[in-house]
Amino acid sequence: MDHILARLASDSFYHLSHASLKGSRCQGLACFAAQQHDPAGWKQACHGQPVVFCLGQCYRGPARQGEDALPHIASHARTSVLLGHVAQAAVLDLNEYCKTGGGQALHQVLQMDSAAVIQQISASGLRGRGGAAFPTGLKWQLLAAQKADCKYLVANADEGDPGSFSDRLLMERDPYRLIEAMLIAGITVGAKQAYLYLRREYEQTASILQAAIAQARVAGWLGQHVLGSPHAFDIKLIIGKGSYLCGEETAMLNAIEDRRPEARQRPPQITELGLYSKPTLVNNVETLCAIPWIITHGAAAYAALGTPESPGTKLLSLNSVFRRPGLYEVEFGISLRDIVDKLGLGLKQGQLKGLMIGGPLAGVIPPQLLDTPLAYQSLQQIDGAVGHGGVIAFDDSCSIAELVAQVFRFGAFESCGKCTPCHRGAAEIARHFDDILHGGRWNASRWQALVTALADASLCGHGRGLAEFAQSIQRHYHAELHTCFTSA
Amino acid sequence: MLHISINGQACTVAEGSSLLQAMRDQGCQPPHPCHDDRLKPIGACRLCLVEVEGQARPVPSCATAVTDGMVVHTATARLQSLLRTNLSLLAHNYPATAVSEQPEHAFHQLLIQHDVNTGSNHHAPIFKDDSHPYLGIDMDRCIHCQRCVRICDEVQGQFVWKVWGKGEQTHIAPADGKSLLSSGCVSCGACADTCPTGAIFDKRSTGPVDHWTKTTCVYCGVGCQMEVASHDNKVVAIKPAGSPVNHGHLCVKGRYAFDFTHSPERISQPLLRKGGDWHVVSWEEALAFTASRLQELRRKYGADSLGVLGSARATNEENYLAQKFARVVLGTNNVDCCARVCHQPSAKALKTMLGTGAATNSFDDIEHTSLFMLCGCNPTENHPIIGARIKQAVRAGAGLIVIDPRRTELAACANIHLALRPGTNVLLFNAMAATLLEEGLQDDDYIARRVDGLADFRSFITAYVPEQIASQCGVPADDIRRAARMYAQARPAMCFHGLGMTEHLQGTQGVMSLINLALLTGNLGKRGSGINPLRGQNNVQGSAQMGCEPASLTGAQNLADAKVRASFEQAWDTTLPTSAGLDLPAMLAAASSGKFKAMWVMGYDIAMSMPNANQTLAALAQLELVIVQDLFLNETARAVGHVFFPAASNFEKDGSFMNADRRVQRVRQVVYSPGEAKPDWQIITELARHMGHEQGFTFKDPQAIWDEIRRVWPASAGLSYQRLQNESLQWPCLATANDNHPGTAILHQQGFGVGPKASLACIAYQPTAEVCDDDYPLLLTTGRELYHFNAGTMTYRTPNAQLKPTDTLDISPADARRLNLAEGQQAEVSSRYGAAILPIHITDKMQDGQLFCSFHRADLNVNALTSAYCDNLVHAPEYKVTAVRVKRVRG
Repeated sequence: MDHILARLASDSFYHLSHASLKGSRCQGLACFAAQQHDPAGWKQACHGQPVVFCLGQCYRGPARQGEDALPHIASHARTSVLLGHVAQAAVLDLNEYCKTGGGQALHQVLQMDSAAVIQQISASGLRGRGGAAFPTGLKWQLLAAQKADCKYLVANADEGDPGSFSDRLLMERDPYRLIEAMLIAGITVGAKQAYLYLRREYEQTASILQAAIAQARVAGWLGQHVLGSPHAFDIKLIIGKGSYLCGEETAMLNAIEDRRPEARQRPPQITELGLYSKPTLVNNVETLCAIPWIITHGAAAYAALGTPESPGTKLLSLNSVFRRPGLYEVEFGISLRDIVDKLGLGLKQGQLKGLMIGGPLAGVIPPQLLDTPLAYQSLQQIDGAVGHGGVIAFDDSCSIAELVAQVFRFGAFESCGKCTPCHRGAAEIARHFDDILHGGRWNASRWQALVTALADASLCGHGRGLAEFAQSIQRHYHAELHTCFTSA
Repeated sequence: MLHISINGQACTVAEGSSLLQAMRDQGCQPPHPCHDDRLKPIGACRLCLVEVEGQARPVPSCATAVTDGMVVHTATARLQSLLRTNLSLLAHNYPATAVSEQPEHAFHQLLIQHDVNTGSNHHAPIFKDDSHPYLGIDMDRCIHCQRCVRICDEVQGQFVWKVWGKGEQTHIAPADGKSLLSSGCVSCGACADTCPTGAIFDKRSTGPVDHWTKTTCVYCGVGCQMEVASHDNKVVAIKPAGSPVNHGHLCVKGRYAFDFTHSPERISQPLLRKGGDWHVVSWEEALAFTASRLQELRRKYGADSLGVLGSARATNEENYLAQKFARVVLGTNNVDCCARVCHQPSAKALKTMLGTGAATNSFDDIEHTSLFMLCGCNPTENHPIIGARIKQAVRAGAGLIVIDPRRTELAACANIHLALRPGTNVLLFNAMAATLLEEGLQDDDYIARRVDGLADFRSFITAYVPEQIASQCGVPADDIRRAARMYAQARPAMCFHGLGMTEHLQGTQGVMSLINLALLTGNLGKRGSGINPLRGQNNVQGSAQMGCEPASLTGAQNLADAKVRASFEQAWDTTLPTSAGLDLPAMLAAASSGKFKAMWVMGYDIAMSMPNANQTLAALAQLELVIVQDLFLNETARAVGHVFFPAASNFEKDGSFMNADRRVQRVRQVVYSPGEAKPDWQIITELARHMGHEQGFTFKDPQAIWDEIRRVWPASAGLSYQRLQNESLQWPCLATANDNHPGTAILHQQGFGVGPKASLACIAYQPTAEVCDDDYPLLLTTGRELYHFNAGTMTYRTPNAQLKPTDTLDISPADARRLNLAEGQQAEVSSRYGAAILPIHITDKMQDGQLFCSFHRADLNVNALTSAYCDNLVHAPEYKVTAVRVKRVRG
């Protein structure tokens, strides 16, 4: 049957299937926001092939592949959960990882029953850090409850949201923590096979993970008997081929199955019918990386961090528009103003025009709302989102027309092509805003109709996210937006 | 049941329904261009959105399951506005001319109704392909609903269409990016059938339609239900109908190959051969002449010098009358039909061992089995709808074992492919049985309750362990063991078999050795199991079942049984002939020796399709009277016919067919016959009248004939036309007081027809005498292929001839190299019996040392090659094994 299924393969979907990234310039939103720092480089990026929408080097935008350097990495939490090795020295050897306390959580879990592990995770209040914020313990519980001969674990390392690079640094500097966390997850929910889906743009990460997985297998962490236990577990690294959409978990499952990575209609939920129609647990890298700490330090210690409603810590990726860009671990509850002023030390130039937190598919936060605390509910109240913790600052050199044009250019390019409002509507908005940048004007009612259709009728979060962005622009930058439209 | 409210109206909905289904039941039909009930919903077009109270956003009704208490609104201002916006997006690159030229089209009506302007602004590549004879492509009107892609994937399993690109660059094109046919299209037309806009369309079906008529397909024995469109007394289009058999799907033959019925070569007036030439005569003259000749010959040579061949193409009613005519009017049991040359061995084996000579299970079991074992059949070509359903079931996780010398399409998908040497079926199945018993894989509980003869069988079978026979079979012993284990452990496992099982010296015994496996593993009498012959023609099951078989009366009731005889004699008010009837091969043999003198051949081109054609023709030439009844002046008529009765095609008459899973299904008249052609049943009754047998041969219509059949065959008594109108029923279906017998989907659930227990059969292997030697070093098998059907009289009179213009001699790459043969080159094939010239087709589906060809073109005369060897019990010819040599034709 494989030779038949191979016909479903959809290389044409991806724009980086066969392309080399060497020397590519990034067109991601963080680099877009920083274009004034290197106008010539940005211009090249805009006409570059292949199109690259985020290299995960937003701290030095406009970035170029092959010129990377380590950013500023610091924890501002009372206790750092995630950045131990990441901030100090990368740990790329399993023995060294174990010497510094690594593997302890796994050993503990091998002695626990799965209900107890799930209870710990639930009590910690950990939520999905990829953006959806679904309670992790509940998700694990749903999976563990599935009666199936085969279940899968998928680690979502498709850190595609322009503006974030936290997962990349976690994987490159502390890969065994991710592997340990995947082992804990797999053993707890009963998945023997795991897939680690990594985006194509992270070339260096791929080789580090490959080596780490190989070493873990040699050391008996992976295989038929994990550390001599009855548990079997293995990890297969899958490298993406260039698609933002694969970060959406159902699209990712399709991608792993070598089908078109279109979002699947839900229900059924993937905890019941996921990868290859088997119950599947999908967790993001950052979510997973918190697990070993929670096991060794206890749920209460984790829950004591952050706020009661949003416990724990979060990684933030600050872009190069800030004076001190870099990777920060913060506790939930920190104000956006503190993020801008105390972490980022303000902007390199100009005035703050807005903050984009959690990628382009969420609301833009204007300066007047900077006193909002970083927390799930509070950001939702101002139509923002924690998302994956990318923090892109725009200074006042960026026009709203440029920003809308760029976000929709990206959104239309990365739309999967399945549902009507997203693949046709986003493209129409992108075309009209491109025209506006060239002096044209558009019809406000058509804009309104398309944004409403994106919000109300899109099949997945891609179209809806684009609508959230558009609606926040409408709300917070109303006057400037309306200079794009004909007065009638 | 679930209780919901739709637009304030309370309604009750079955659990598992989608909102769309619930809304339809309420007469509220939102547009849903991306949804087709045959496909999994994907909720892509977003035109069928509805609002459900408590949900933040509208939901697609096609993809949303109803939950109890839902409060649904389908016509809010918000929804209206979204519908308009989404339509405007779809119309943005939709050609305005399409709407103006075909305003009646449903999608165009939607655009017109919502006053949406079309844009014709294209941003993505547009695929073009004008090379397919049936499928037209206008991708500028594609709205990316992906129905073509999905139906090719989820229903046909061919993966021809593919979505390319992403975002606004998304477009639909075949898998290789070039053309449909080069991407593996099998021309089933499902994509055109489902396309909501006409981006993919039936090239020939764009005109007006007067009537749609539901009827049964005229090709293979699957019995697909279809809707036939007619205009001006012509069939103009065919669409699949929903039914448990074909689930809204058809193959290229059923859907497209209908032009034969309007061929200018149709014979529309009776013909008599006078002084060597055919002359048009009146029906009166033709019938009077024939009646007097038959009477004369009977006087001269006796009734047993006469014979009748019923037709697998004709209805049950007509076959019933054909055998009744032979027995009552002519007074002979010399009556047969083409089941003789195909599945008579299956019927014999199943009847002997289990008690009923028909498939034990239903096509609907395909989705309920854990494993298929396909033996000597190639369903994706010869029973394409079943092939597609099996393929889908295998994709969904069912196991697959294929036993076939060729690497067929399904063999390439199989877990295990046993490419045995033709003629070694009995060895292989015995070896599997030996493995089961040696390894203790048999179902002891089932055997204890339902199987006899294990002890004898166990000692008999030890001689056949795989290691002992593997080299003779040409299959590794390990593979045989693996297959036996897989079959035994699947529970349930379902066998389908074809003519690769039956057309052998040990055809019947081969099927019996297969039945042994089902008995040993408890795979009889339960869902998803059984032994299921895939019948080759629309009504081949029916023609034999009706009694076109020398030893059986209607309902396969034994002629030798005094009680059966008595009941028929009473029903028919006659005395049945007592001499044993001749089957077709015996008729030909008797003709050669001068004992058999006249034959009435209905819808059966024996000169072309019987084996050893040179000998067949010589025998037929001895006959003093050959009456041919057909649509066309076929090879039999041309060579040896004296009388030709022009018959109506199956689009031109009423009646019923019986398919391969024992379903009786209606055939309905769509158009009138050309000229004076008549349905077979009328011709038979008129000839009977001319021979003084008005009584017993006077019927108002086919229904009256069927009602008589129901009286003489109790297992069909419950199958009234009235019930068949709306139900798909399988016999046995008995008469009940409330007329509600459910039919029988699965045979042998309690006991067997032969008793509470069935006996294992000890079948010793007997090799055929048709063997290769230095002069004839290669083994030829013959069979059918996708685009053509049997004698080719129908399909070669349709554009299918463009899709496959000729039979080919299929040969392995190594053999082709060795014999210095190139693709397409003409090669002469010779056997001990004759020769034929065929174009070469080199394919890795063939094993070295073996050849395959189809036999659909009369002028290529493939049956000149085949031998006179036949099944040792029921005389089915050994079409599957002929020793031949091949050489290049110079020039």
